[in-house]
Amino acid sequence: MISRLRLRPLVWAPALLIGLAVAATLSLGVGAVWLSPEQVARALLEPHSPDARATAVTIVWDLRLARVLLAAVVGAGLAGSGAAFQGMFRTPLADPFVIGASGGAALGATLAIIGRIGGVGVPVAAFIGAMGAVMLVYGITMASGASSATSLLLAGASLSTVLSAIVSLLMLMSDRDLHEIFSWLLGGLSGRSWPALTMSGPPLLAGLIALWLLSRPLDVLTGGEETARSLGLPLNAARAAIVAAASLTTAAAVAAGGLIGFIGLAAPHIARLFCGSSHARLIPASALVGALLLVLADSAARTVLAPVELPVGVLTALLGGPFFLWMLSSGGSR
Amino acid sequence: MTDSLAAEGLRCVLGGRDVLDEVRLQVRPGEVLALIGPNGAGKTTLLRALARLLRPLGGAVSLEGQDIWRLRPRPVARRLALAPQGADLWPLTVEQFVGLGRAPHRGWLMPLGPDDHAAVRAAMGRTGLESMRERQVTELSGGEQRRAILARALAQEPRVLLLDEPTAALDLKYQAAILAMARRLAHEDGLAVVVTLHDLNQAAGVADRLALLAHGRVQAVGAPDEVLTAELISATYEVPVAVCRHPLDGTPLITPLRGE
Repeated sequence: MISRLRLRPLVWAPALLIGLAVAATLSLGVGAVWLSPEQVARALLEPHSPDARATAVTIVWDLRLARVLLAAVVGAGLAGSGAAFQGMFRTPLADPFVIGASGGAALGATLAIIGRIGGVGVPVAAFIGAMGAVMLVYGITMASGASSATSLLLAGASLSTVLSAIVSLLMLMSDRDLHEIFSWLLGGLSGRSWPALTMSGPPLLAGLIALWLLSRPLDVLTGGEETARSLGLPLNAARAAIVAAASLTTAAAVAAGGLIGFIGLAAPHIARLFCGSSHARLIPASALVGALLLVLADSAARTVLAPVELPVGVLTALLGGPFFLWMLSSGGSR
Repeated sequence: MTDSLAAEGLRCVLGGRDVLDEVRLQVRPGEVLALIGPNGAGKTTLLRALARLLRPLGGAVSLEGQDIWRLRPRPVARRLALAPQGADLWPLTVEQFVGLGRAPHRGWLMPLGPDDHAAVRAAMGRTGLESMRERQVTELSGGEQRRAILARALAQEPRVLLLDEPTAALDLKYQAAILAMARRLAHEDGLAVVVTLHDLNQAAGVADRLALLAHGRVQAVGAPDEVLTAELISATYEVPVAVCRHPLDGTPLITPLRGE
């Protein structure tokens, strides 16, 4: 039985930040060449000192640092938008992809791969696909006048089904790109470096901060639509702002890391165990937990079958699923 | 004196059925108005229409002389609060939950200030929730949850308070406490209080005026003595009743007659 351990922000925030720093240091050390935490620290802090080994400096700065930072940022983004969607839709089952972002991103990336738009083409196409799908879902729901959260969820589920059918069809018709599409769909940070971080980082962090600023509307929405209206919340404007911020975050995360599942669903549940359900705390706590989880998962993905790299999405699902089931069965999820 | 809240020719349709028809009603500052009537009479619908949650097909609701649908939701929520009968609860702490009532005052982005915290503490104090401020609302008993919902409405510091069946699910002590509080809020703090009640005797005890609803229409409005007559109640509720007097304050007491 997991008992709820309510901690003060002054306890959990530093603890998570220290945990994240330790995990990042370890993650910088693992891979084809192993570095001790001391070598990592020296390469990081004093890259120009004569004590630092040149190879270590190159490995840390040119190969691994961007990827570790990207893992942290992507994990934070997925977890933060997952927390926001769970609050807005008032369901613990929601994740960042709940209103179509994954289907749109998959279609965008698939088209870019088939169309041989190399370089930044795939992440940009994934970003556009994710935002486009969410806007379509939102537009259809608003236009139909059925503006309830439930109709938004249903429209998202329908569009996701259609989009993933199209992706399957495209994969079936393009044998030579099958492997590349499939490995993108599985999600991973392999080969990602500074360009991915500078491209995805700013919009992702902007969306995350916007979600944090929207924490009071999110709290009010957890009381249901009627309560939110009676507290004076302009329902449609609040929903549009939350959907926009969460989707920007999700789309930027997906552009960088592909479809990494589970972090966005599980991290908010873990965060709730120690910080409660008020979004002013839940959003940053989920983001930190998500960052920590993805940094650890990405380190594992690089090492468990070395020199082969596992797609990190496979790993988060393999390890996360059973962990989550255990957490649910011990009654600690809410 | 301007009415705090007034309905004029109010007509609401739900699912193709007239739920309210030509409803005319006023409540003044410092007054408790109780809405009574059989199940399905339209009491909760009327409360929702008065709270700007349900747009009427015809007629108008005015809040302190202004058409409520010409006002933005937030200014309305600063002046008018509704404590609904039930609510979907999310695992916030009692203090966080009651604090949501400050949103109309503080805006959507600003953190709560000292006066907000004072209002939240006062609202928890009035509803006997101080000792539970760190507990999650989802883990409270039904009666405690009702008090938390009421406290959230009080934290809005409204001038018009709408209470939907505030005594349901409460034990005797809190039934009496909530009704006494409704009277104090009206008579001492000058709020206009509208309360729906099933229990006619509670209504007689708490209200300055009663409005009897049936089939979406106001059948009678007036002091308890004028509305709670054996003829009117027997006809409206379709059960024979006798009316006697409360031994202490002389308000009407309704007893269904057994037999037949």
